[in-house]
Amino acid sequence: MADRALPRTAALACVLRFNFLGKQKRREERERGAEDGVRPRVNTFSPEGRLFQVEYAIEAIKLGSTAIGLKTKDGVVLAVEKRVTSPLLEPSSVEKIMEIDEHIGCAMSGLIADARTLVEHAFRVETQNHRFSYGEPMTRESSTQAICDLALRFGEGDEESMSRPFGVSLLIAGHDENGPSLYYTDPSGTFWQCNAKAIGSGSEGADSSLQEQYNKELTLQEAETIALSILKQVMEEKVTPNNVDIAKVAPKYHLYTPAEVEAVIARL
Amino acid sequence: MARFDPYENNGGTCVAVAGADYCVVAADTRLSVGYSILSRDHSKIAQLADKCVLASSGFQGDIKALQKALAAKELVYEHNNNKKMSCPAMAQLLSNTLYYKRFFPYYAFNVLAGLDTQGKGCVFTYDAVGSYERTGYSAQGTGSALMMPVLDNQLKSPSPLLLPARDAVTPLSESDAVDLVKDVFASATERDIYTGDRLEIVVINSSGTCRECIELRKD
Repeated sequence: MADRALPRTAALACVLRFNFLGKQKRREERERGAEDGVRPRVNTFSPEGRLFQVEYAIEAIKLGSTAIGLKTKDGVVLAVEKRVTSPLLEPSSVEKIMEIDEHIGCAMSGLIADARTLVEHAFRVETQNHRFSYGEPMTRESSTQAICDLALRFGEGDEESMSRPFGVSLLIAGHDENGPSLYYTDPSGTFWQCNAKAIGSGSEGADSSLQEQYNKELTLQEAETIALSILKQVMEEKVTPNNVDIAKVAPKYHLYTPAEVEAVIARL
Repeated sequence: MARFDPYENNGGTCVAVAGADYCVVAADTRLSVGYSILSRDHSKIAQLADKCVLASSGFQGDIKALQKALAAKELVYEHNNNKKMSCPAMAQLLSNTLYYKRFFPYYAFNVLAGLDTQGKGCVFTYDAVGSYERTGYSAQGTGSALMMPVLDNQLKSPSPLLLPARDAVTPLSESDAVDLVKDVFASATERDIYTGDRLEIVVINSSGTCRECIELRKD
């Protein structure tokens, strides 16, 4: 018995020592990495106090298609550029504005696949859970907070978390007992309430146009026209009912049919 | 071989009546076990939110646990949603909480009452596993079979199956409704051994909640 035990214990000791060495090595690497200013692990701070992955994610959104949202006293208007890259692509299959609940819709910009995950898992499930538990629609701020709770669940080690942040920005249009509202979220998990906002590649130009043209007394119709005209400025192609999407939440969510979009284009 | 029975019926009756802009909730204060009285002064009514009150009869151990759970959930809701829970929201929550324990139920027969988001009186009546309905009035507990026929006679609501939906709330004034509740308890106390001692009446209206106690027969 003793002679068989000995090599086994020796083998065990080797494994343990190897593990210990491995941990030691990894710790040294980590410390070295942080000191050099070399990009640290995904969910840890850099020495200057920045989360690089989150900042890079925000950069990724600047490549995404433009989306514009405007809030009026009657409701909120969302307009997106669909960016149909080929005439063979079926335009109605490109869905960049989604319904969350009867009284909430959201427009997305950035990695659309990430946006889908965020909307399906966080948003829709949360609002329906609320309806199930309390028999009432979720307030727009709580639902936006629910999405943002998910945004920072990334990192290494934990199997359940993503390996990187969500590379998507959302414009959330909602209506509850406090009236209409527009929220803007970004990959850092922060959300802001806005009167008007543009996200995506054309956001800088669009934001400054919005600042000039927006006022609180706009009607829903005027807001539609403004949103579409700003989109036209920042889009490369001509605006047609097939390459833009418009939706409103006033007070219920409604995605415009191509005929309704055509009517707004005619007013431009 | 005596098996451990996890349940016990502590008796008592609860009643609620909804009016156009008020709600009356009443319950006796006798706590019994078997043929003995454990307390003549035990409240069965719990205030869950400012316009929402729960009255339960049955096994007081389960009832206390249920009240605690609901109060905690209400606080979490307030923190997450920046507003207090409305009575209809609490009604749905109570139903889900009861059904969660479908296979080891809370031995609690509940009546949830208060004002809805429009300020109208609302009464929700439950069974032990969470089936609920919004009605104009309800009685639950050991004396409920003695009280419901009298309430039906005095307050008969239109059927909830009628279309367009008719208002279930009673056209009675607040003082008339309180008098009816006192009469109905006095009658049930005569014949139900578990009901008696003192009646606690809570009236909820737009100006708040007020509590009144009257004596009942002690035998």
